[in-house]
Amino acid sequence: MTAVGRTTRPRLRGLPRLRSLSPLTRREALWGYLFISPWIIGFLWFVLGPMIASLAFTFTNINLAQEEPLQFVGLRNWQTMLGDAQVWAALGVTIRFALIQLPVVLILPFLLAIGLNARYVKGASAFRVLFFLPYVVPFVSGVLIWGGMLNSETGWVNEVLRFLGVENPPNWLNDTGWVYPALVMIGIWGIGAGIIVNLAGLRGIPTELYDAARIDGAGFWGALRHITLPMMSPVIFYTLVLAIVEVLQYFLVPLVINNGTGEPGGSTFFFNLYLYKNFFTYQNMAYGATLAWLLFLVTLVVSLIIFRTSRRWVYYAGER
Amino acid sequence: MAAEAGQLDPAASGGVLARLSRSVRPRRPHRPRDAVKSFALTFALVAVLAAFLAPMLRATLVSLKTPDQLSETNAPFLPSLPQTFSFEGKDRDVYTVPLPDGTTRQLAMVKPGRQQSDFVDPANPAAGTITWQGSWRTLDRAWLLAPAFQNYVDVWNLIDFPRLLFNTVALAVIGMIGTVISCTLVAYGFARFRFPGRSLLFTILIATIFLPSAVTVVPTYTMFVQLGWVGTWLPLLVPAFFANAFDVFLIRQYFLTIPREMDEAASIDGAGPFRTLISVILPQAWPAIVAVAIFHLVYAWNDFFGPLIYLSTKPELQPLAVGLQRFNGIHYRNPAYVQAGTLMTMLIPVILFLIFQRIFVRGVVVTGVDK
Amino acid sequence: MRVIRATTAVAVLALVVGACSSGAPTPAPSSAPTVAASDAASQPAPPSDGASAPANTPIAIGGSTPAPGQTEIRWYCCLGGGDAPEQVAVEKQVVEAFNASHPNIHVTFEAVPYAGANDALATEIASGNGPDIVGPVGIGGANAFHGQWLDLAPLITKSNYDLSGFPPDAVNIYKLDEGQVGIPFAIYPSVLFYAKSLFDEAGLAYPPHKYGEKYTMPDGSVVDWNYDTITQVAKILTVDSTGKDATQDGFDPTKIVQWGFEPQRDDLRGMGAYFGAGSLAGADGKTAQIPDPWKAAWKHWYDNIWTDHVSMTGPIFQSPDINPEDYPFFTGKVAMSQNFLWSTYGLEGLEGDWDMAALPAYNGKTTSAFNADTFRILKDTKHPDEAFEVLTYLLGEAAPDLLSTYGGMPARTDEQAAFFESQDETFTQKPDWQVAIDSIPFADNPNFEAFMPKYNETLGLVGSGGKYTTRWQTEKGLNMDQEFEALRSEIQAIWDKP
Repeated sequence: MTAVGRTTRPRLRGLPRLRSLSPLTRREALWGYLFISPWIIGFLWFVLGPMIASLAFTFTNINLAQEEPLQFVGLRNWQTMLGDAQVWAALGVTIRFALIQLPVVLILPFLLAIGLNARYVKGASAFRVLFFLPYVVPFVSGVLIWGGMLNSETGWVNEVLRFLGVENPPNWLNDTGWVYPALVMIGIWGIGAGIIVNLAGLRGIPTELYDAARIDGAGFWGALRHITLPMMSPVIFYTLVLAIVEVLQYFLVPLVINNGTGEPGGSTFFFNLYLYKNFFTYQNMAYGATLAWLLFLVTLVVSLIIFRTSRRWVYYAGER
Repeated sequence: MAAEAGQLDPAASGGVLARLSRSVRPRRPHRPRDAVKSFALTFALVAVLAAFLAPMLRATLVSLKTPDQLSETNAPFLPSLPQTFSFEGKDRDVYTVPLPDGTTRQLAMVKPGRQQSDFVDPANPAAGTITWQGSWRTLDRAWLLAPAFQNYVDVWNLIDFPRLLFNTVALAVIGMIGTVISCTLVAYGFARFRFPGRSLLFTILIATIFLPSAVTVVPTYTMFVQLGWVGTWLPLLVPAFFANAFDVFLIRQYFLTIPREMDEAASIDGAGPFRTLISVILPQAWPAIVAVAIFHLVYAWNDFFGPLIYLSTKPELQPLAVGLQRFNGIHYRNPAYVQAGTLMTMLIPVILFLIFQRIFVRGVVVTGVDK
Repeated sequence: MRVIRATTAVAVLALVVGACSSGAPTPAPSSAPTVAASDAASQPAPPSDGASAPANTPIAIGGSTPAPGQTEIRWYCCLGGGDAPEQVAVEKQVVEAFNASHPNIHVTFEAVPYAGANDALATEIASGNGPDIVGPVGIGGANAFHGQWLDLAPLITKSNYDLSGFPPDAVNIYKLDEGQVGIPFAIYPSVLFYAKSLFDEAGLAYPPHKYGEKYTMPDGSVVDWNYDTITQVAKILTVDSTGKDATQDGFDPTKIVQWGFEPQRDDLRGMGAYFGAGSLAGADGKTAQIPDPWKAAWKHWYDNIWTDHVSMTGPIFQSPDINPEDYPFFTGKVAMSQNFLWSTYGLEGLEGDWDMAALPAYNGKTTSAFNADTFRILKDTKHPDEAFEVLTYLLGEAAPDLLSTYGGMPARTDEQAAFFESQDETFTQKPDWQVAIDSIPFADNPNFEAFMPKYNETLGLVGSGGKYTTRWQTEKGLNMDQEFEALRSEIQAIWDKP
């Protein structure tokens, strides 16, 4: 059993000292299966069935009204999808937005966490709570609060801009040039979670490393490059993967704030928005599921690439 | 997919790092340069925070306003009440009126007009009306600072907080316990044990979050209907005990930063895998575990659609998120109520975070002592 | 239709990280609960008076379960109205009274917050776990679930249900390709609401209350009560912060504090219907067209916003500071507004400073956009006979209580007088309800919410918060004829999709 595993998955390289001791290896594998068994049971029980069902939907004509009888339609939905201009437009929108959103949601929480972890900060715990605060705001309430903030006539953002002498401040949510910055601003409100993850990572770095670096004459940047970044790389890797999954599935804010119309000018017509609307609003479950599985495949490819590259930049102290 | 990711850039001092374990941060003497840094950094954080929390301040101010103020276009910034004066059975708005004799008085408007308007003096209404020439819209209304704390009392009474809170706390805490335990075990399995198919299984685990959840709602709901669980808490609680990809991934990443030397030492001392997890790994992984606990709490606290579909026929089992949404749907015409309801809903998660973040910080200390 | 403002008309699908696993939120933003929109049509809203609702444990809804041998009938509520605390209290009483008097049937009341009502219903139906009765639901709201409704005709015949008390037109509203999907219950004609004190302040005559009456302008000239007149009067009633009105030199359109006229802008089709009934679907049911009166209505609206300045621009309309309650007339800063009768739910705050007047005519013809609410049965119900028994109870014995709490005008002609008497208890200034009754014959036929292909997808263009609805109130200087053509071809493209 272990031999099969090893030969078919050569990347499981280097099973070291215990290699020759096959009973021990087997015991270790059994312990491993035991520990991950809750997930395996849950996966088979709650997750796998619905996933397969949604995949099966893509080969049928299932919809809520079901005016034609339910039947197998082969690859028809997939063909329709490949020829659907909105699919590609929506993917383009999603990727354009991702390029703006990703750096912000990766770097900002990291920097803030470093700031909050620095021993120079007075009242760090108060800061932590205050940065965490908006993360707890129920989603819709939060977006609506921001809708008020960004209103071009009465919102605080433009009032401040007018006070600073800007004569025609932007109509944030209705201007193709400003809607992405506005959405990023709204997104920043959720960084409380990102700060927590990054803080957890920073808390795990042994302080002796910094002391040693100081003795070696390393400054802040040297320590950041040679200690913080490598030691944080597993956590950064986690935030990167999740941020990509999130941004590929992004649609909630535009759904609430522009009612999911994709306005202004189609710039907020995100892929997952199109998917969601097909599923719930147009009640075409078959096509919605097909779009979902396309997104699944896209995400899978992107993640596989990132997992590949991670070998080069993620450092695991406890890996083997 | 590379569950076992690569090695550190050899340029970095990997070998040394691996050997070191965590320790208490030593207190060092306070130096003048630190004071400057401290001031600069704190100031920078305050500035960022001010912008970050401005919407929160706005929401708080709105929550303390009365409908009278909210519907007024040129109302003051702080929660205030427009002054009125009751005259001939009706409440009249009070304005600050500059009079021809150069004085300014607070007068109540009785009859507005485009060219001229009639006022009475609240101090002496019997004196009859004073006719003022000009457009009353150029006058300022008289306001009195008056935060409407009553809004919070009203919302408390309207939402039936106690029962909803009980349901929410129960759902969140039970789910949190399940999530923390199951995800820790699964993450430990993936991080510390080699077994055939580990890589593939980990890939599958992560891939479960790649499928947008909108499409699995219907089959999932159907499944719970068939299990007979709709109308109970089970669909919301049971899955939490079987781990989820997000949290397993986070904890596994964290476990992988913990050097193996100590597990191996424990193992040589005769500790089994469970003892090693509890006495060696967990004390060093507190920050990640607490982070997962916080995430689940906030998630469960604000989860709306799950409880909505599974508990739609059982209002007595519904949590706060559903109650709040119902409340917002009814009271959306009074933004003060909506904001007050939102802020009240946030209170308990924020308090819990306050408590948790202490553990969060202490986690490192425990680690050091443990060593 | 109460569409909670575009931004709030949103359901909250907290799917976040997988409905299947109870995943924790993720660190990136927007990780908190997910949201689902219901930009599908919404329905006439019964008065859901928020601020002054009685403060007693409102959300307590009976959760009893059927006894063995009883047939359970699930009543799914609140696709747009009926979820206010005092309404839920009445609904609960109705359910209890029914259960007490019908030992063989047990009604379970399922009150779902408006925010998630459409998505939750879709999920339940798709999973084969749908309710039996849905309502109150309007014409458009029901069309969002086109194909789901049971044809009541066989049950009506079988039980000899008496339809003679209704005006025939009201019955025919519900005669669709799906069959006789509804029995009339509540109707909501449109009228022109106006704020009396704002007319007084400007020294203007009130609008006419009788159809066919003329209007006397300030200069003494007597003119027809049409949309041109509305704009002329509205300009005098539109005032900036220095007190100048829109007819005066020096009027500043960026500093308006009072607006002269607001159309019903929830749905472009509805807005069009005030100028004349029509349909986006041509005679063949699949060719997109835009009726000429609708074009005129939309142009009138566009000019009212951008040229005459008598109606709110989009940003002003969406500002929670200026228009927090969806319908600007509720703020007391709008002099005239056309709306459905159900919008009286928002008028208590005006403290009696309002009345109803005749709708203006377009090209000599008056049209009153119409809303109607009823209860419907889902076609997948396993117990159609029992469901029909419950339905007739709701439309019969329980109707007076329900109509009164919903603020719905009874479709049965002989019950209308009693209804208006009960409304006078709330509105002590005694509005001229006769205007509403006089408006009924002007109902738009075909109704603007009638079914069209790809109903929900098309609404994304013309419905509440729809693409063109938003665009026209946000962008100045558009060539409207080009816009109409763009809209038509976009609709056609949606309808032509497989």
